[in-house]
Amino acid sequence: MAGARGILWLAGAALRADRRGAAVNAAAACVGAAALVLFLALGLGVGAAARRLFPADARLVEVVPARVSLGGVLGGGRLDDDAVGRLRALPGAAAAWPRLPLGVPVSASEPAGGLGGRWPSGLALQLPIVGVDPALVEEDVAPGAFADPPPGAPIPTVLARRLVEVYDRTLAPAWNLRRLPPGVSLVGVELPVRVGHSVVAGASEARVEPERLRLAGLSDRVPLYAVAVPLETVRRLHREYGKGDAAYGQVTVLAARPEDVPALAAAARRMGFAVDEGERATAERVALIVKVTTGALVLLAVAMCALAALAIAQALSASVRGRVRELAVLQALGAAPADVRRIVLAEGAAIGLAGGLAGALVARGLAALGDAAAARLLADLPFRPESFFLFPPWLLALGVAVPALAAIAGALGPAAAAARVDPARTLS
Amino acid sequence: MIRLRGVKKCFRDGAREVPVLRGVDLDVAPGELVAIVGPSGSGKSTLLHVAGALDRDFEGEAVVAGTSLAGLGEAARAELRNRAIGFVFQAFNLLPTLSALENVMLPGVLRRAGPGGGIGEVRARARDALQRVGLGDRGGAPPARLSGGERQRVALARALLSRPAVLLADEPTGNLDASSGADVIRLFVELARDGVSVLVVTHEERVSDAATRVLHLLDGRLA
Repeated sequence: MAGARGILWLAGAALRADRRGAAVNAAAACVGAAALVLFLALGLGVGAAARRLFPADARLVEVVPARVSLGGVLGGGRLDDDAVGRLRALPGAAAAWPRLPLGVPVSASEPAGGLGGRWPSGLALQLPIVGVDPALVEEDVAPGAFADPPPGAPIPTVLARRLVEVYDRTLAPAWNLRRLPPGVSLVGVELPVRVGHSVVAGASEARVEPERLRLAGLSDRVPLYAVAVPLETVRRLHREYGKGDAAYGQVTVLAARPEDVPALAAAARRMGFAVDEGERATAERVALIVKVTTGALVLLAVAMCALAALAIAQALSASVRGRVRELAVLQALGAAPADVRRIVLAEGAAIGLAGGLAGALVARGLAALGDAAAARLLADLPFRPESFFLFPPWLLALGVAVPALAAIAGALGPAAAAARVDPARTLS
Repeated sequence: MIRLRGVKKCFRDGAREVPVLRGVDLDVAPGELVAIVGPSGSGKSTLLHVAGALDRDFEGEAVVAGTSLAGLGEAARAELRNRAIGFVFQAFNLLPTLSALENVMLPGVLRRAGPGGGIGEVRARARDALQRVGLGDRGGAPPARLSGGERQRVALARALLSRPAVLLADEPTGNLDASSGADVIRLFVELARDGVSVLVVTHEERVSDAATRVLHLLDGRLA
């Protein structure tokens, strides 16, 4: 049996002898590989963008009061501390965090300190505020930074990470304000507000107090269009403004495992509550659409690789038929039938590898062109990704391996035919 | 050395079996140049293929370079051809897409890499072999640019690369002019002097004149 180096030397010599044929076959493999890598990269890129747009946590169940409830008859209806305790005690529940909307109006009439820009004269914004359990956002803020503050201290707040994106791509350009830097550099920014003041005429409280909201962090677990403050702050403000003991607007239940979510949702419904699946359902629908579309495109690419394999099989079959005497000579000089088979398989593998490498590069180039075109043609909307394509290393490896394996599969038949060449008969 | 005893070989022609070799006994000792002559279709090439471990479908006993061919598997036969047997064909059988030097390298390339078996070493040995047949300066030429005599000398260099114990030649001068044929015959004589067992199938007198023994193959038997 010949060594691997000898086999490769002979396969290389055969490919050099028919450079044009090898190039055509490699081009076919290149097209399949490029399509495979490009479509998968697009699916991964769009999927990542969709996850940024809908950062649904697979373990969270949002429980809300039912629109129609039999109240205490079946133990449901009002989301109070007792209900939170019962939700927390459900099998498969790791935690339950209530949310309490602030019943006191809060408005802002000047920009946050340090951000500058031209705040429209006379503009006052009504801020929707919701109180959340500090444990809900403990992974997104510094320890102890999200608690009801002492008198005179700014109220810590957490904003939805997506809100920054919306601000940067819509409010900032429209109002000629400075764009916000991403990440933790925003933490510490303070916004002067008036607690008790409403932009709606006659809706303000009798007592209006100046306060400051201080950004403690950004999180995907707080509502998109509300400012989250500590639950205890909302309770305190309710007491100070005589708003009474309102029920929670929503309870976020954390499942121990994603598989526990359906059972938890069913249990919450049995308790007389509803489950808000709006964003989760949208996220799942988008993810499904991305997966199905990517899957269809990948199937198309795999079909192209299969066609490339067929082309390589046809070309190698013709090559073997034309080289019968050469293959017999190689056997006379010491090649075993297995060696002849390996030579032809190596030719196929080399064609597939070359095509795969070229295809991966072509896919990168096409993706760069696509991103450049998108940057020029698409509006600068929120959540528009910098790139619609993701190229993890495994994808490039897959893009090389699939056409190589397809080419080897295509070479199996011709290789077997080559190994069947009878040197005695051929050289007679 | 070559030792054949009672070698029989038939070809199938439809339902009919056509005997080609009818019990051939042959010995070629190291240093001998034996010529086998006979009319076309007498089985000369078939005999060569049996002795060269290319044809495994025969009856009788065959021992080549100390190895009995009986029951030898494909890989072992290939190894024997590569290590101990050199072939020279009437049609040269050079690979047209390789240079002369690369053609000569083929047996070395096909040998599993071992000490001295790297491509670089094989190339160096191939250059020496071309030098020996007087074509040291023609290594880069493709076969199409070589004369018939030069092609046959390249084929001879290829056969000699592995320093075989046995050299089998099938009408080696059939396509050569008188001068080129004489060069090839002279090389065969030199190889036999070096201890190689040389078996030449021919119908040319100039080859048989140089042989130490001449055997006639007629009706599938040697005389």
